[in-house]
Amino acid sequence: MKQVYICQDTIIGVFSAIHDAWMENRDDDSGIALRGQMMPKMFCEYTEVEENEQKSIAVERLIKKNLGYNAYWDIYHALLSDDCEKADAVYHTMLDARQIKDSKRIMEHLSNPHVARVFELSRKVGNEAHIFTEFIRFRELENGVLFSEIAPKSQVLTCIADHFTNRFPLENWIVYDQTHEIFLAHQARKKWVLVQGEALNTEAAGKISEKEGKFENLWKMFCRSISIDERGNPNLQRGHLPICYRKNMTEFN
Amino acid sequence: MTEIIQEHMSIYDKLNILSDAAKYDVACTSSGVDRQNDGTGMGNCQKAGICHSFSADGRCISLLKILFTNECIYDCKYCINRSSNDVVRTSFTPDEICTLTMEFYRRNYIEGLFLSSGILKSPNYTMELIYAALYKLRHECNFQGYIHVKAIPGASQELVQRVGFLADRMSVNLELPTAEGLKKLAPHKSRKNILTPMRLVQQKMQDNRQEIVLYKNAPRFVPAGQSTQMIIGATPETDYQILSVAESLYKRFELKRVFYSAFVAVNKDSALPARTDEGPPLLREHRLYQADWLLRYYRFEADELLNEKNPNFNVFLDPKCDWALKHLEYFPVEVNRADYNTLLRVPGIGCKSAARIVKARRMGILQFEDLKRMGVVLKRALYFLTCSGRMMYRTKMEEDYIMRNLLNTGEKLPDSVSGMTFRQLSLFDDMNFREAQVPEILG
Repeated sequence: MKQVYICQDTIIGVFSAIHDAWMENRDDDSGIALRGQMMPKMFCEYTEVEENEQKSIAVERLIKKNLGYNAYWDIYHALLSDDCEKADAVYHTMLDARQIKDSKRIMEHLSNPHVARVFELSRKVGNEAHIFTEFIRFRELENGVLFSEIAPKSQVLTCIADHFTNRFPLENWIVYDQTHEIFLAHQARKKWVLVQGEALNTEAAGKISEKEGKFENLWKMFCRSISIDERGNPNLQRGHLPICYRKNMTEFN
Repeated sequence: MTEIIQEHMSIYDKLNILSDAAKYDVACTSSGVDRQNDGTGMGNCQKAGICHSFSADGRCISLLKILFTNECIYDCKYCINRSSNDVVRTSFTPDEICTLTMEFYRRNYIEGLFLSSGILKSPNYTMELIYAALYKLRHECNFQGYIHVKAIPGASQELVQRVGFLADRMSVNLELPTAEGLKKLAPHKSRKNILTPMRLVQQKMQDNRQEIVLYKNAPRFVPAGQSTQMIIGATPETDYQILSVAESLYKRFELKRVFYSAFVAVNKDSALPARTDEGPPLLREHRLYQADWLLRYYRFEADELLNEKNPNFNVFLDPKCDWALKHLEYFPVEVNRADYNTLLRVPGIGCKSAARIVKARRMGILQFEDLKRMGVVLKRALYFLTCSGRMMYRTKMEEDYIMRNLLNTGEKLPDSVSGMTFRQLSLFDDMNFREAQVPEILG
């Protein structure tokens, strides 16, 4: 009977499930499903996975060693997406990598449906992360912290963290992911951290600094005055900057 | 002319005036340089550039695009800031520029600063002011983001050099494609004055490249290269002339980019084309950019795309399709055998897909389905390709036939163009009628 491992939708969760599936059932029919995002099927036996960091680290090492860093990069990004079959695609990509001569070249086998899926998801997440390096807007709070809210489909926070840490090393800033309720926090001169399981204090996040309103107005006015009326083209604007991203952008509020 | 010079104006009004005056500058790219933050300031640069927003005309907002001042001693006929125009004049102070740049950058509004300026008192005086602002921004605010600055024609060599070490990209506006046009519309500027700083920046960049080989930490001079822009449609140049100028700029001055700006009639002047309802010549600008890409990435030459007999672009077809239709003797091309350069010339195949084809055909014989997956635009390419000796469909190799089919699948053209096919014939060509032509016609 097909053995299906059930885990949380986190990197640690999925890697733990891969760990268990790999140890117990890699040569038989097996798969991985995400808790709350699966349809129970017939002729499957479901197992809850015990998640812990050791398993996750072991799998990470396994992937990096056998599939190489580039494949790990793709797998990691694919697992950040909002797709409900991502874990299974990654697991089967790893299984199929054992069949080919040079496992490090697994991501070149795009004719394999699992590999193609991982590749597609990884690109999707990468593109979305890039979009947020462009469209994130910070506002300055009373205590000088720069605060930003975004509503991404994928869990892009870890993908944009290095970019902003390098860009603003001397600033305290926080990015809040509304969809997944995760914070990305950076303290001046330190490394970034991910904070999960905390609720957003809307009152504190609403207290903006004295100067903030002034610069928001300056920016809104700049965006209007920089446009040439004779060339007006809202369709082109929408193509480059789809409406769904405008919700949290200063110049469109 | 009375000019209102306002000494005490709020930063809001200043930004409104000076960004409105800068909007006709085209380049808003933040690309060409990779730089990590050294941990002591703010900002970094990414080679590909980052757009942060898009304005209502669909152009990207990447940099804080402002003029230092809109006061100007020159009287260029096409410019909103010409000295004979009665507009509110104002200037930023270096402090205001620094505050705006830093505060906008912190909020992730912008990728850097684009600083241009009218000529206040003299070119040298203006360039000094720009230098002061950039120096403050780089050394006091420790800004490590992108800076694009205009070199003012006529400013001293030494000043241009000093500014070049603070900026990432420099540009000198060519303004108009030919020297005659410049004489007519910008009487205070000369071709020589414009090309001198361009040559200087080119030479300094070459020197700097050698310095960097010797001393790794030598300061970088204009690391993202230089660019220029010219106005399209204000003077009667043909597309062929414009493209030839661009080509020689790329070859002789090693420019990174040439930008084309469709002429927007902001002033009324007998030397300028009459204002029409059609708006700026956007399609012409678009065709020029398409051809510009063919020059830079597709190894085309200006002479291949246009010539004396055929000096303007086809309105209906992009320059690459147009070229292919006129050279059907080269086609169809065999995908599994043709070299990279030949593949590049096929409409519907770009640099990326050409490279992918060359790589992928080592593994096996390519079919049309594979091409589709690699990103080849088959609706254009199918008339010009064979896979293992077969075309995708039965196709006649006739110019008219292919043209008709390409037009059916083709790009969406602006209304002014599609409407043109139904334009009633008239004795007079009222499309390009200019006031200045009246005396010529009347003799």
